[in-house]
Amino acid sequence: MAPSTPDWLREIDHTGDVGLRITADTLPQLFERAATGMFSVLTDLDAVRPTDATAVPVEGRDREALMVRWLSELNYHHTVHDRLFYAFSVDDIAPTADGLRLSATATGEALDPARHTVHTEIKAITFHGMEIRETPDGWTVQIVFDM
Amino acid sequence: MPSYTFEKLDDYRWQIPKTGGMRVPARLYATEPMLEEIRSDDAPQQAINVAHMPGIVGASLAMPDIHWGYGFPIGGVAAFDPDDGVISPGGVGYDINCGVRLMASKLQKDDLDRQDQERLVDALFHRVPTGVGSSGALRVDASTLPHVLRKGAPWAVQQGYGSDADLNVIEEGGQVDGADPDAVSGRARERGLDQIGTLGSGNHFLEVGYVADIYDERAARVMGLDEGTVTAIIHSGSRGFGYQVCDDALQDMDRAMNKYNIELPDRQLACTPIDSPEGQQYIRGMRCAINYAFANRQVMAHNTRLAFENALDLTPREHGLRTVYEVAHNIAKFEQHRVDGRPQEVCVHRKGATRALPAGHPLVPGRYQKVGQPVLIPGDMGRYSYVLVGTDRAMEETFGSTCHGAGRKMSRRQARKTAGRRNVTAELANEGIIVRGESGRTVREEIPEAYKDVADVVEAVEGAGISKRVARLRPLGVIKG
Repeated sequence: MAPSTPDWLREIDHTGDVGLRITADTLPQLFERAATGMFSVLTDLDAVRPTDATAVPVEGRDREALMVRWLSELNYHHTVHDRLFYAFSVDDIAPTADGLRLSATATGEALDPARHTVHTEIKAITFHGMEIRETPDGWTVQIVFDM
Repeated sequence: MPSYTFEKLDDYRWQIPKTGGMRVPARLYATEPMLEEIRSDDAPQQAINVAHMPGIVGASLAMPDIHWGYGFPIGGVAAFDPDDGVISPGGVGYDINCGVRLMASKLQKDDLDRQDQERLVDALFHRVPTGVGSSGALRVDASTLPHVLRKGAPWAVQQGYGSDADLNVIEEGGQVDGADPDAVSGRARERGLDQIGTLGSGNHFLEVGYVADIYDERAARVMGLDEGTVTAIIHSGSRGFGYQVCDDALQDMDRAMNKYNIELPDRQLACTPIDSPEGQQYIRGMRCAINYAFANRQVMAHNTRLAFENALDLTPREHGLRTVYEVAHNIAKFEQHRVDGRPQEVCVHRKGATRALPAGHPLVPGRYQKVGQPVLIPGDMGRYSYVLVGTDRAMEETFGSTCHGAGRKMSRRQARKTAGRRNVTAELANEGIIVRGESGRTVREEIPEAYKDVADVVEAVEGAGISKRVARLRPLGVIKG
């Protein structure tokens, strides 16, 4: 991770294999920052340019499932369509008949091996120890990736 | 702090008794000195969680290389009753049918000088795509993929990659029935098109080595392993195709659990009854991924032979590289076992665990009938790997299963920190091991110190009697992701 790691993002040790602890002022910001954190594990974000935007709608039966689906969807675009995302904007998190729906936009560019390094492969975003909590200061979540 | 205690059964067996919602006890195979490290992880708690699952029979088993995994621990074995049991994607793992092939050549270690070693590793690196998202060894179109998914390694042989002699010595003959390409998503199929014949990243590797020590002369002779024999080991699985099948099924099952009134201590144990629509769909898709991985390793084995031919200027007859055996270590299968003394079909989940059948078992290929099924246990890239055979005791106690590898003891981040600015590739070269890795970071994350000593793991399974050592191999060259 870059030396300029922001104070809302902490990498935590876990044998299975990388974990992040994220804090944010609002729930949409928590989702945005979690995505930024995941892409900072995958690549050096400083080298990614925001050239185009992808709409990313996902659904989940609760907040935690929504987080897993959101990050899994972005990881899918990354691994299968060679996308690197740099900035994220969550427009809405709204209830549905059987859970929650998130509408968001991810901005980035196509992977260019000449300019980008992909450090690792994330097999899965896990539910391990995941709990999205509202604290007096805002929101917090811990995410463990299966590498 | 962990809320469980291990009861000592003997020097190699530890039991966590049935309490609360556990349906069976959890049993761990390990030596006493290994316990501290095993306890430092959440893995024993995961073995306890598995013991809560509907229809589990016998015990929730943990092999000595146990460490944290998604839902089930890696190094976990659990068998379920087909009538009232469940199937769980987390009990197989994301990399469905990740496994290991061992090949042995006619060459002796002394036939290869340093230059040969380097040329060989370079040729392998050129022929077998490695690394994050590696692709392009063999691209198939959407109309061909279903054949790969149904036929597995025999499909690859039909296309000219290897021969029937390979198929006879692959678990299941390199193909399982009941694979249904219509049971997997468009995304999974899309991911499968261009990754056949690729290694991937993480702990996957292709290693050239030699037989350094022999423990069982007779079994080694039957396998064609003499002291000094040059070998190749391929460790890889079903790549992005398998991850997608797993991910899709986990989503389905996470939603369906309520419908079947299944409540479990960990959400990652998502499962449904074996005969439910969701369970059947996963089984049909998982079998596609099993066959995909068999085809993947078959193509890599063929390309390994080509690398030997090009790099060393040898004919196939001269290098004589043939398959000794291939095992799966992330898989669920319906098998015949004895439960409470009675023969019964069970659905065995092996996640980071290897099938280990004894001599005389009908599923052991003819040439190994008298010695038992070969079991391949890779270690870290600097030390050694083991060849074992299965035993009767494994059939009696562990649903014919044993360990699968060294098991990590450091997180990747810790490993990078430990490696620091060291030149890991140069260090290994000094020890006579040529390493080529797509990413320097992967090589640092995979330093030997990041793993348990596989010799300890093997001592524990041999001590417990669930497999027996045949030979130990040392590396000469490794390609990594």
